[in-house]
Amino acid sequence: MPRPIGISKLTRRRLLEASAVAGALQIASPFIIKARAEAAIKIGMVDPLTGVYAAPAQNEVTGAKLAVDQINAKGGILGRQVELLVEDSANDVGTGVQKTRKLLERDQVSFIIGDVNSAVAQAIAQVTNEKKVLHIVSGGHTDTITGSDCKWNVYRVCNTTSMEANSISELLFHKYGKKWHFITPDYAFGHTLQQAASADLTKLGGTMTGNELTPLGTTDFSAYLIKARAANPDVILVLPQGGDMVNCLKQIVQFGLNKQIHVAGLQQELESLEAMPPEARVGVWMFEWYWKQPGVPGVDKFVADIRKVNGGKVPTARHWFGYTAAHTLAGVANQEKTLDSLTLAKALGNFELAPEIKLQPNKCYYRAGDHQLMTSAFVGEALSQGKDDPEDLFRVDEVIPGDKTAPPEDRTGCKLQWPA
Amino acid sequence: MKAGENSRKLLALALIWAALLLAPYWMAPLGGYTALGTRVLVLALAAMSVNFLLGFTGVLSFGHAAYFGLGAYGAGFALKFLAPSTPLSLLCGTLLGGLAGALLGALIVRRRGVYFAMVTIAFGQVFYYIAFQWSSLTGGDDGLRGFSRQPLDFGLFSVDILSNTDAFYYFVLFCFAAAVAVMGLILRSPFGRSMIAIRENERRARFLGIPIERHIWIAFTLSCFFMGLAGALYALLNNFADPRGLHYSQSGDFVMMAVMGGMRNFWGPLLGAAVFVVLQDYLSSITVNWMSFVGMLFVAMVLFFPRGLLGVLARRSAA
Repeated sequence: MPRPIGISKLTRRRLLEASAVAGALQIASPFIIKARAEAAIKIGMVDPLTGVYAAPAQNEVTGAKLAVDQINAKGGILGRQVELLVEDSANDVGTGVQKTRKLLERDQVSFIIGDVNSAVAQAIAQVTNEKKVLHIVSGGHTDTITGSDCKWNVYRVCNTTSMEANSISELLFHKYGKKWHFITPDYAFGHTLQQAASADLTKLGGTMTGNELTPLGTTDFSAYLIKARAANPDVILVLPQGGDMVNCLKQIVQFGLNKQIHVAGLQQELESLEAMPPEARVGVWMFEWYWKQPGVPGVDKFVADIRKVNGGKVPTARHWFGYTAAHTLAGVANQEKTLDSLTLAKALGNFELAPEIKLQPNKCYYRAGDHQLMTSAFVGEALSQGKDDPEDLFRVDEVIPGDKTAPPEDRTGCKLQWPA
Repeated sequence: MKAGENSRKLLALALIWAALLLAPYWMAPLGGYTALGTRVLVLALAAMSVNFLLGFTGVLSFGHAAYFGLGAYGAGFALKFLAPSTPLSLLCGTLLGGLAGALLGALIVRRRGVYFAMVTIAFGQVFYYIAFQWSSLTGGDDGLRGFSRQPLDFGLFSVDILSNTDAFYYFVLFCFAAAVAVMGLILRSPFGRSMIAIRENERRARFLGIPIERHIWIAFTLSCFFMGLAGALYALLNNFADPRGLHYSQSGDFVMMAVMGGMRNFWGPLLGAAVFVVLQDYLSSITVNWMSFVGMLFVAMVLFFPRGLLGVLARRSAA
């Protein structure tokens, strides 16, 4: 029998059943949450635990969890225990915003950490700004977060795109040559990287022999590589990320290009190097943090602590981001003896990280003018095989302090607007 | 019998609207939060627009996220570049989504079945890549930002929908109610009956002299207007528009909500969206494998209850 329009078939019983089902789904959640300690101070963390950034996001969470355990062992924040509530942003802006509202409105968290994805991080920052909650961006690199879109309540741990470019440009220029050729992924992030690096190149007096824009998901880079070789540059800069980068590097090695031209890139991560076949691990890169730093206090203990909770694997820069973000919040709150976001946000300007938290040789502090952490860049070369440890895939040549790589405060475009 | 059915129908409607109207009051004690209710409403409107085509005209569009995303960008552009006015942004979003649907619909309607679905995906992805690549206008992968919903100005008084989440919920509910009322009226009109005739037996409808292509085109266009409105509301909800809202995987989510709730049922997609959003919100806090559970539920629904949740409930009480 054809059914004209569905509305007509609703009855009371059906509706009661439906609302019972919907109700049961709703009821199931709060009791688990409420079973936790009432008096704990809550830190909310929003990160893309599913999707393409799942691996780095998971590592940030592991790092933050370790920090929270350490904070609690030392008496917590203001004598209260700390609880980390983690939500999955699923690498989607809408979900990230919704999860942030959930943490702020329902769970009443005092602080927010997140997100790996720059777009999600900026969208979340709008929510935390509206709710006046202190927010630390752990892993989104776009300049605007601490640039033209900076906010009084938002600080950032990881580098900006400009800092990454600046850290490596000078070294490449003086050590490897002044003619550069770019392989750039054709979307906003790639364009920003390329512009930052080519601006440095122009300032240093070098020339760009070409810029190959490659669509996202390119598997065959041969046409671009042939063009790059014909242009005869000193350095070829590989800017694609993830699977595209692996394909590009593999083909560079197959072509023997790395024997004729210096291969380099900007940011490289241990997660990516480990996922690559050994033959693709070539080139000069910058790491935002590296686990092997002989003689730097606290690093060995941090590596050992992470190994315990990370299936025996060493920490990556992402672990350090999560760890530092959580420790920053606890540190500044204990220093100021308050949870008030405005006081804490003001106190974080020029706040310096303790040696057991910064885990790097140089001074590490949040800049007051743009809220960016002045963290070091670890510049060096990728190794195809680890020497002492299978995960030692990078040789650090230079550790450049953050205030050398960051553009001056007045050039970031950041104008902080503090609430009245 | 007739009278009884009518009163049952009215009671059901009254219950749905009572639940929606009181949502901010009953959600919080049950562990929800108002913003979750707002999201359910917006995605439900989108799923109902998909269902307007899928359930009542019988054609499956897998690229409807394109018009959803265009609505979002339309609203964002209006707020950012034209004037800081919430109603204007809704109008611009709805128009952008709807007009794009009207233009492309004219090209698509001659296809049927899987070809129709394929062409809608293709056009959807065209918009996705435009938004992704045109960084100077759309912000590309970083998304369009720098706008926020504005207080509603009624001359004598104004309502702050930016920081008051309950006020924004009722604003979205008002838009949802208006859109759903129009949708219901269209389905009850002779035009709506012809749509159902096409769904049931296209060849027979053609022999009866119904201009099939024109009807499907009109249905497609109307559906895109509703989609544009949903997208515009989504942009206001997030104060953000990003290319992922245009992606075909987003279209897939909408189809899933419609099918899960009951695709031949007017209110099915509302239930589907509620289940989808609440399940995602709840499960993803517990496990990173939440997608497997949503996926398994979907597979189970399609295998055992092809008429969806509301379809099952409807059949059981009819028996």
